[in-house]
Amino acid sequence: MNNRVRELRGTRGWSQGDLAERLGVSRQTVNAIETGKYDPSLPLAFSIAALFTLTIEEIFHPNGSGVAPRSTRPENRDFID
Amino acid sequence: MASILASCAGAYTPKDRYNLRIFNVWIIAAALSFAIATLLIKARYVDTGVLGWGLALLTLGLSILAFRSYLVFLRGADELLRRIQLEGLALGFGAGAVFMLSYRLFERLGAPKLDSGDPFVVMAVFWAIGQFIAMRRYGAGAER
Repeated sequence: MNNRVRELRGTRGWSQGDLAERLGVSRQTVNAIETGKYDPSLPLAFSIAALFTLTIEEIFHPNGSGVAPRSTRPENRDFID
Repeated sequence: MASILASCAGAYTPKDRYNLRIFNVWIIAAALSFAIATLLIKARYVDTGVLGWGLALLTLGLSILAFRSYLVFLRGADELLRRIQLEGLALGFGAGAVFMLSYRLFERLGAPKLDSGDPFVVMAVFWAIGQFIAMRRYGAGAER
């Protein structure tokens, strides 16, 4: 599972420890998620999405797809909006 | 080695650290009680009367408290820490089961007889090794 957690954390200037504290998990958990060694549980994925005010699909996407989720593709935006 | 120790330090939330400390206190107390009771009973300082049974029951009580505090630690643990514990327990249980099954055959072939508590040592050692391996897998080289 690829994700944008490191990028999103970086834009807010938070350390892994800061993010871990906000999510109520350990710093190792944040590191393991960022490096793709560990996929978070659904509740934790929701917490991460809520913290960055994004949807889960905007943060996490399947390995190797390299494709933005359907809902975020430009051609679907008009239909959704 | 330093990176592994650093990543181990980052594996616990303050709550995990608190629960782990409680578990450590009970497990050390249970181990000490077991060692002291064994020595006293073996050396016949204590007979099989009330004092002997009292020591045995004290060890049992402390062991139950250690077991209960481990469950509290596990239930309240951070989700990655729970996974690490699960992998450690799986390796410990598996190694213990393999050891118990296979060593019985070796005993029949002439290998030295073991104490009934020896498989527990194998389980505990492999539990620790499993935790170390899982900790490395998920955490080595963690940034701050």
